[in-house]
Amino acid sequence: MQATSSQVRKAVITVVVLSVLGVLLVAAVGLYRSQQTPPQPLPFNHQVHVQKVGLSCLYCHSNANKGQSAGMPTTQRCIACHQQIEPTTEGERILRQYAENEESIPWVPVAIMPDFVYFSHQVHVNANISCEQCHGEVGQSTIAPSLTKKQNMGWCLACHQNQPQERVARLTSCEACHK
Amino acid sequence: MAEMDPQHTKWVMVIDLDRCNGCGACVTACAMENNVAFTGEEENAYGRGMHWLRIVRYWVGEWPNVQVRFMPMLCQQCSNAPCEPVCPVFATMHSEAQELNIQVYNRCIGTRYCANNCPYIARTFNWFDYEWPEPLNFHLNPDVTVRRRGIMEKCTFCIQRIRAAEEEARMEGRPVRDGEVQPACAQACPTEAIVFGNWQDPNSKVRELAESQRGFRFLEELGTEPKVIYLSSQKHEF
Amino acid sequence: MSQEQRLTRRDVLKLAGLGGAVAAVLSGCGPTAKYVRRQPYYDMPEYARPGASVYFATTCRECPAGCGLVVRTVEGRAIKIEGNPNHPVNKGATCARGQAALETLYNPDRAKGPTRQGKPITWDEAITALADLLQNTPPESMAFLLGLAPDHLAELVYEITQALGAPPPLRVGALAFMEARNTLAGAAERVFGTKALPTFDIADADLVLSFGANFMETWLSPVYYGKAYGAMRRGRPGRRGILVHFEPRMSMTAANADLWLPIKPGTEGLVAQALGYLVAEAMGREPGEGLFQVDPAQIAQQAEVSLEKLEKVARYIANEAEKVVAIPGGVALGQSNGFAIAQAVLSLNALFQELGKETGVFFTPPVNGEAPLAPATLADIQDLIGRMQAGKVKVLFVHGVNPVYEFPPSWGFAEALKKVGTVVSFASFVDETAAQAHLHLPDHTFLESWGYQRVQVGADRETLSAFQPVVVPVFDTKATADVLLAAVQQVGGALAEAVPYKNEVEFIQKKVAALRERTDGIYAHPHPQVFWNLFLQHGGWWTEQSQKELARGSVLNVQVGEADFDQGDLYLVVFPHPILAEGASANNPWLQETPDPTTTVMWNTWVEVHPETAARLGLQNDDVVEIASPYGAIQAVVYVYPGIRPDTLAVPMGQGHTALGRWARGRGANPLALLGPEANGASDPAFARVRVRVRRLGTRRQLARKENVVGVYGDGRYEPVEAKAESGMKE
Repeated sequence: MQATSSQVRKAVITVVVLSVLGVLLVAAVGLYRSQQTPPQPLPFNHQVHVQKVGLSCLYCHSNANKGQSAGMPTTQRCIACHQQIEPTTEGERILRQYAENEESIPWVPVAIMPDFVYFSHQVHVNANISCEQCHGEVGQSTIAPSLTKKQNMGWCLACHQNQPQERVARLTSCEACHK
Repeated sequence: MAEMDPQHTKWVMVIDLDRCNGCGACVTACAMENNVAFTGEEENAYGRGMHWLRIVRYWVGEWPNVQVRFMPMLCQQCSNAPCEPVCPVFATMHSEAQELNIQVYNRCIGTRYCANNCPYIARTFNWFDYEWPEPLNFHLNPDVTVRRRGIMEKCTFCIQRIRAAEEEARMEGRPVRDGEVQPACAQACPTEAIVFGNWQDPNSKVRELAESQRGFRFLEELGTEPKVIYLSSQKHEF
Repeated sequence: MSQEQRLTRRDVLKLAGLGGAVAAVLSGCGPTAKYVRRQPYYDMPEYARPGASVYFATTCRECPAGCGLVVRTVEGRAIKIEGNPNHPVNKGATCARGQAALETLYNPDRAKGPTRQGKPITWDEAITALADLLQNTPPESMAFLLGLAPDHLAELVYEITQALGAPPPLRVGALAFMEARNTLAGAAERVFGTKALPTFDIADADLVLSFGANFMETWLSPVYYGKAYGAMRRGRPGRRGILVHFEPRMSMTAANADLWLPIKPGTEGLVAQALGYLVAEAMGREPGEGLFQVDPAQIAQQAEVSLEKLEKVARYIANEAEKVVAIPGGVALGQSNGFAIAQAVLSLNALFQELGKETGVFFTPPVNGEAPLAPATLADIQDLIGRMQAGKVKVLFVHGVNPVYEFPPSWGFAEALKKVGTVVSFASFVDETAAQAHLHLPDHTFLESWGYQRVQVGADRETLSAFQPVVVPVFDTKATADVLLAAVQQVGGALAEAVPYKNEVEFIQKKVAALRERTDGIYAHPHPQVFWNLFLQHGGWWTEQSQKELARGSVLNVQVGEADFDQGDLYLVVFPHPILAEGASANNPWLQETPDPTTTVMWNTWVEVHPETAARLGLQNDDVVEIASPYGAIQAVVYVYPGIRPDTLAVPMGQGHTALGRWARGRGANPLALLGPEANGASDPAFARVRVRVRRLGTRRQLARKENVVGVYGDGRYEPVEAKAESGMKE
């Protein structure tokens, strides 16, 4: 038996619609997951450290004014204070574990530059750009945040173009950021 | 000293062909610095080697008076570059600030028009994803993007080293010193044939060398205005 | 800062950089294997910052020259090798092989840990096995084969053999005998009165005469000679030094010469004497006045070189040049009369001195007068092989050399090895020798090692070049010195008393202790730990001031005579590959990928054939041929080469591995298979005396060359093999 042309058309349309929906679904799930905070090795609370204890960002991310990478705190940096503090929370207990095993904490960075981008914290921090300008109010979050600011090239350029006239050419040249 | 224009730097390279002995240290140094992939025998036989820098060998004369000339060949960083206007996606760009031809990898879609238009055959194309089997990937330079399949690449004058030197100078509040920026090839070169510097600096070594009567630019009659200046070798005739 | 603390910090680096390095997709842009994930430290060393480079000074061990390196590391990984700008040998430069040494360190085909009969064992078992061998083997039936680097290990092994009463270690290597080190040192003793490797001071020479010396490629100290060559050409305003090169084939050094004279193989010494005669004559000396008793016209004819050209060179020397240097080396010293040739060429320097010219031969002074152990002579090696063959060697220890690959098969080493009870290899790779070893106890590569190298050539001052680890060991390897010392301690008794070092570092510290007394070094400090830190920080110790003293020689009227040759149609030049040299690093992919300078061939073995010879034999580029000598046969691919004598073929070393790793194995051929066991008069092999027959096999195999196939639109075509080559060739 031969299928009529309308049956064929219907089947084709169904397949096309389903596959488009499928692609959209996969994309939506991917997009959703990429916006979630990644699981961290221990539930670190920025708010407590910044607002209650009053630590500056540079205390833990100590390389931000000295080099490209801001750096994640070493186990020693954490335990220097925490060995004086009775562990009460889950996070503190996990931290003790890492310290006792002399292991580094496998922090999952949330603000990652793509491989083809060159970015130096040092240059930006020394140009008096505050951490919050790019990273948002991390100090108010209670869990390791995902990026609160959308960091794409247009967002970088918006600032780079808005600089003293004699520096714009350098700051907007491709090789200033692309490596 | 004349005031240098802080907006622009003009990086030039001088290659003294009378010093160059063709040893190939620059070729390997370039590859190790810039994460250039190795492609193996078969790919190289097809002409798909990824060397950003190669040493061209010319035979001159007939037996028994045959002679050899070596000429390191790399992207000439043309001021008037034939590769730039043909790129449909602006991946091959001219940097006004550094006066370099730059390749923006994430824009490149692999049309290969730029390579087709390059008279120096200085561009190489990633026909495949080339691997560094672990732990060979440990030595990859974190300052240089690892390119993937379908992307065009070429010599950058070691832009990552230029950037690092400029940043350091800026933090110390001084201009970049002559000789402070050394691309990997110049640094490795045993005969000191390769010299790199800023043309804007009137006291630079490159300015001094470029004044030599032996100086020439390769295929400059094409109007490409290369920024690599060769000094010809003048063999003694017996 | 104590040694122990230093090591713990390195352990921290391990946690941070290497141990935790996991391939991870960070950006979604590219294959996963390219990325190495960064991880924070447990405790950051004070010299490190996230993402910042840390530089360590060390010494290159890819060849024995001892160039100083500065290695850039980022978070515990070695990223780039650079030359040490203050080092007296290489002054900041490196060669291709040094550049690619990171691929030795991070090579995926390295030996991953100790094995017995191919099965993994623990290091405790390995050390017990070693101690057992040291204790229960009669000392006279032990033998140690070592490479020419590193020197500290050779000295430690020497002490151990002395304490045991075993024969002293033999230092061997294909590069060492292709450089004819004993010949050169022996000739230098006769002409200049110093038995050491001479350094030729060409940097301010007006004219350099090179008799076969491939000093810009691999010969003795190529980076030193590269620096000096650049200075000779354009280092002095208004004065440009000239290079005249005599060699049957156009090597890379010959390719840079102003005048290349492809003289007949074996006539190098005669030509040197004729040239000396002509220079003296041009300077108005009467023949016979302390001159070589030769007839230049007849020699020119014999050497198939134009007398007129020789006379022009002689006149230039007589009238224009103030400083003239004559260098014997390479293929000239591999002739059957190589020792006489070396003396004749060195005498030429002495003759120029007599004629009132400046010359440039000097000797690197040994540090505190302690010269390194000299390489073994061919007679020593043949004696060892004879004893092995006779079953008199029960245990053979091999480090830093791969004799199964590096010795010509005609010497019979591979067969003799089967008669040795226990073979212990310390190679970092599973090379041809390690594959046959009973115990394989892999050493670190030099970038993970402590040690020192005594500079013999190129430095104008006493130079002890230091090794230090720049990263923690990548695999479960152990320093050979530590393994031997642990075994010695396990044996205990008189042996442990005679070799009283706790570990390798303590041994080195004791060896360098005497330098603390010196006040003429680049630094001085009486405190041992401070001195040690300075030693590592600077990459070694050398004197502040140059100690260069140009040697004065006496002219020897040596009878050079005619060179002997084996039966065959064509002369054969076997030469160290300009990039791969003898082939110990043939598994470094970027070394394979670096084109040979004169042919631009990569990844394979070629045979250079003159266009006329190729036409006569019906050979074209990419034809596979069999080359046969009385000692063996290999297959190689024809490269029609305009720069070689029509009566000569040339084949590079470096390929033809049957082990070592994925990029080296089954690739090309090893021309050492063509060489015989004869010596050259100074007990180095006469590798140039062999003559060969060549036969077309009817198959073709395209060589990968950089020329003509450059760029993405070059005329690159790949012709697969038409029919399978008979054997040996890789598809």
